[in-house]
This record gives sequence, structure tokens and C-alpha cells, in this order.
Amino acid sequence: MTDDVVDVLIIGAGASGAAVAWSLADTRMRIVCFEQGDWTQPGGYPTNSANWESQAFGPFNIDPNVRALDTDYPINNADSAVTVVNFNGVGGSTILYGAHFPRLHPSDFKVRTLDGVADDWPIDYDTLEPYFTQNDRMTGVSGLAGDPMYPPKQPPLPPLPMGLVGETVARGFNRLGWHWWPSDSAIISQPYQGRDRCLNLGPCTSGCAQGGKSSTDITYWPEAIRRGVELRTRCRVREITLNEHGFADGVIYYDAAGEERFQRAEVVVLACNGVGTPRILLNSVSARFPEGLANSSGQVGRNLMFHPFGIVQGVFDQRLDSHKGPQACCILSKAFYETDRSRGFVRGYNMQITRGSGPLSTAMAGYLSGTIPWGPGHHEAFRKRFDHVAGIGIVCEDLPEAHNRVTLDPELVDSDGIPAPKITYRYSDNSLKMMAHGLARGEEVMQAAGAISVSSAGPLAATGWHLLGTARMGNDPETSVVNSWGRSHDVKNLFIVDGSIFVTGGGVNPASTIQALALYVADTMKKNLANLFD
Amino acid sequence: MPDLISSDFPLTASQRTVLTAVLDTLLPASRDGEMPSAAEVDFTAYLVDQAEGFVAELAAILDELTASFADLPAAARHERLTEFSAGNPAPFRNLLTRVYDCYYQNDLVRTRIGVTTGAPFPAGNDVIAGDLSLLDPVIANSTRHRFRKPG
Repeated sequence: MTDDVVDVLIIGAGASGAAVAWSLADTRMRIVCFEQGDWTQPGGYPTNSANWESQAFGPFNIDPNVRALDTDYPINNADSAVTVVNFNGVGGSTILYGAHFPRLHPSDFKVRTLDGVADDWPIDYDTLEPYFTQNDRMTGVSGLAGDPMYPPKQPPLPPLPMGLVGETVARGFNRLGWHWWPSDSAIISQPYQGRDRCLNLGPCTSGCAQGGKSSTDITYWPEAIRRGVELRTRCRVREITLNEHGFADGVIYYDAAGEERFQRAEVVVLACNGVGTPRILLNSVSARFPEGLANSSGQVGRNLMFHPFGIVQGVFDQRLDSHKGPQACCILSKAFYETDRSRGFVRGYNMQITRGSGPLSTAMAGYLSGTIPWGPGHHEAFRKRFDHVAGIGIVCEDLPEAHNRVTLDPELVDSDGIPAPKITYRYSDNSLKMMAHGLARGEEVMQAAGAISVSSAGPLAATGWHLLGTARMGNDPETSVVNSWGRSHDVKNLFIVDGSIFVTGGGVNPASTIQALALYVADTMKKNLANLFD
Repeated sequence: MPDLISSDFPLTASQRTVLTAVLDTLLPASRDGEMPSAAEVDFTAYLVDQAEGFVAELAAILDELTASFADLPAAARHERLTEFSAGNPAPFRNLLTRVYDCYYQNDLVRTRIGVTTGAPFPAGNDVIAGDLSLLDPVIANSTRHRFRKPG
């Protein structure tokens, strides 16, 4: 196999890997993608069974340490305030994501200029705008044009139903005079490109049996494969190798049988998320890069950003049919998204209105919070809460800090013996002040909406979906890992296209921006094919 | 209450008796009679079909409670389980999760709480679109609700 050379080897078949593969297929180059996991079969998703809720606690758990499939890798979260959650397989974490799909704002790319914190991105919203639009079309985004908190955009599909939850909370926002808008969602509200519409099953975060949720295994990948991209599952990359000229020349990986193999490549593209990408780079040690590949800046693994997340819950007298409809996608508010220093912090947060959960989750959450007892009082308390709740997720911007980082655990390894990532992370004072502000404002909204009881909690630990910043882009090779189009400063044929290249994280779910970035990097590669390595 | 005893079920007769009492204590029938007791849904079948790996832990819990548990009056059983949950939080939480999981899969229970019976897919749910005219005040204030231009 060592004589077999591919033109482009993409590592990771998730949100960004799928997008970059699809776009680069235009070149007719030989493109191969290695994915450590498997294809997921829609017939195996929990909502095909009556016990769908308990399956979401086990085999479809969002925490890879709990799920513990042999296609997962363990993560040491012991030194982190946030637990990393993900999915490993074709589609990556889009298999289990909530599909809330807002874009970063124009201000998010210029936080140094606007607010004097962190760094500006070397690109801006306008750079990505065509790729946001392209990604919306490929994904099938549902939403409503006209949100004044964004530059003009036109989602290809009408918004998802707000339901009673959305209507109720929207009235609360209106009473306070605060912004709200139907969410952009990576869920199709109408039949779209051969897929049937969302059935409002509810639990998007355990996979979508209907295929209404736009995970990349059913959006980008079928099209990329039809256009000639080869996707190989159960190929887990250990390290990227270098030739004597300092160019990446391939990867060492383990196949499905656990056999160590080598694949040569002319170009390597990393698309493994903000934890998986630095893990591979740090595992790729050589004489030229003793601290990890492409790490002359020392920034690989540093500046890890999540989105500190809290939740406000309101209980209402009237039934809201809360368990029906996409749990994470309803309406949102950007009332406190942009900086106002009188609040005591810089940057801001998104308020993501969420629907309720199923009966098992309601009963167990009620037990743990003390609101629904077991025993004689159970049924009465359950009736008052189940289908009577609305939630507001507080999604805070998390500024980059060098001490928040991904390193390699000295002992923990995956099933192929590859060193596992260790997360070191703590909340900043700015984030904690922002969270406190968001929880208080969320409670105000619920009260204005007429909730009979309101509670809030945050920041919450098991919420580490958004893995950002650990191989950040920039113009200065001394302070960044990749340039303004995702190419490593150190290794000219190595590209990174996932969330690790974010300079700052914004205050919204990042999937839309991650994929727009991947499409932008791919397009820039295509425009520079003649001098790609100059 | 149904007879929990079946020849191939891996609990002793004494454990089964205690189990019935535990189920009825954790989730007794509602006072209005609308909701059944957890002892009236088929927990045995649930254990065999969906929770085989929990049987050993369950047996240990039932042994810990001892056979006399079944003979206690309801209030005393509640008190005993409260003590058990305080001293054994993880096992109790596992027990409660299993009991709730079984209970809220039951067709009668689901019908009574207004949830589709069986698997959510492919039936799905109807959700009202919602009144988009509620956005009128937001649009009317679009000068104030404005994204921040970086330039």
C-alpha cells in the first residue's frame, strides 16, 4: 500500500470533513477520507423503539467515555470544568447534534477591534457569506429571513414550527421589548432534495430516524461519494508523517482489524474537531517538530474554547406539548449578544429556547432536582411538569485563554493504543459574569411569559459540544497555527478545516460557521491549485 | 396485582415478593385511579427484554431490603426506601431509572399522559406552526435590534 498515493487525504468525516470533501471533488483529484467510526444506520436510532429515552442514556450517549464504543477514543476530563461530548462516525457529531444552526455575527470576527479582547480573525463575515449561503443550501436550513440581528440572508426552507413553547416564550420577550426570532435550523421543514420533512419526533440528540435532521452522512456525503470521493471507515489515524523536505507525506493509521498501515498523500486535511485535531498533531512528533506537528508557535492545543452553557426552565399552568418537536430548535434571542460594558463583562450570549423532554427524562430530572418525588406525590407533580415546561439555553461566548488546552494524557490510550487527549479547562471570570447575567435575564423572560415557577442552573458540565480554537488561524506564524485559509504555517501541504481554527468562538452553536469555513478553505485551495504550496 | 412469578425468571420467590412491594412503593397508583401502580405494569418482561444486565444489581438491592419489606405498611416501606436511597444513592438511582423506564414505556401510562404509544418513529407528532405576527414588535424595533457592524 505504500506506493499508493492519494492526492488529498482528509482525516475525519464529520461536519467539516464532509463539506471539504464535497467541494474539493470539483477538482477531479483522487480524494480519500479516513473516518475512525462507522456509518450509522437510521433503523438503529433510538426513536425506532419505545425505549428511546433509555437508549439515549446508553449506546447513543453523547459522552464518548460513557458510550465507550471501540470507534470512540477516551477523553480525560478530570481537570476540566466541562466534559467533552461528541460522536465518532460518518457524520461526526452532526449525528447527535441538536441542529441549531445560527451563524457567527459580523462582530464575532473583530473582537479585538471592537472590544479590545482576544484577537481579530484574519477573515470576516463577508468573506464567509457566500459559503454560509452555499452550506445552507447543501444542508437544507429552515429559518425566516429578515432577522435584524444579522445581515440579510435567505434560508432555503421556511422555519420549523414554533409550537406552543415558542409562542409562549415569544410573548415573554415581547412584553420585555427584547429581540427574538425563529431559529435557523439544520432540519428540513419541508421535503428537500429527496429527503422527507421533520416529523417532530423530539429527541434530535440521539439521531434522526426520519432523516429530517441534516447530519452530513445524508447531506454532503452521498453527493461527495457520487462525485468520486472515497470514504474509508474504521481507519484511525495515529500520526501524520513528514518527508525530508518538511512536507506531509502521509499518515500512519490502524485499520478495522487493528493492523498498523501507512497511506501516502500529497495533501493532508485535518477535520477532526477541536480535540481530535490537536490530538493527532501532538501525536505527530518528529525531529523537526518535537512538540507536535505544525506547532512551532506552541499554540497547538491551546486556547480551547467551549460555550459555557446554562439552562433556565419555566413551568406553565397550560399544557405546551413540550415533548413534541426538535428539542433544541425553536426560537432564539440575541438581545444580549453584543457587548455592553455596563453589564460587567465583554461580548455576550445567545438565548436558545428549547422544548421539553420525554417522560423518562422528565421523571428523572424531577427526582434529581427534587421537583418530582417518587412515591405517593409522583403522579401529581409529574402532571404539573410534563409537557408544561419551556427552556432557555444560555450560550455564552468563551474567550480564548492559553491555559485552557488539549494535551496528551500520559497513560490513557484508545483501543489502538494511541495516546488520548487530556482537557485542562476552567471558566473565566468574564464567562461566569456573563452566565449569571444570562440566567437572570432568562428568568425574567419566563416570568414575563407567565411561568408559575422558574429555575435556572449553570454553567453545566456535560455540555462540551463546541470544540474550538486549538489550532487557530492568523497571519502571524508565531501566534497562530494556520494562515487565513487554513494552511499550516509550518507544513505547506497540511490544512485544517474544523473548529480548531476558530480565533474566537462567538456566542452561538458553531456548526454552520465550521462548515462555511471548510467550504471557504476548499474553495481557496481550488483557486490556488497551481501554487498551493508557495 | 399480576403474578410476577415465572419459572425462567432469575429472581427467587422471596425477591419477587419484595420487588412487587418496591414497585408499588416507588410508584403507587394515583389517588384518582387514573395512573396504575408500577407493580401493575410488566416489569418482569422489561427486565428480561431490556435490562438483563441490571438483574444482579436488583437482586442485591432486594436482598438488602430483606423479605420483611413486603410485610411493612405503605408508610414504613416509603421510609425504608428513603433510608436506602440515602445510604445507597447510586444503586437507588439505577433502580429508579429502571422502574421509570419500564413504567413510561407502558401503553396505558403513555396514553394517560398524552404521549404516542410505542416508538416515536414513524408516527411523529403534530406541532402548531405558531403565530409569526408575534414578530411584529421585533420588526417594528429593528433599528434597536440591530447587529453590530465591525467597520
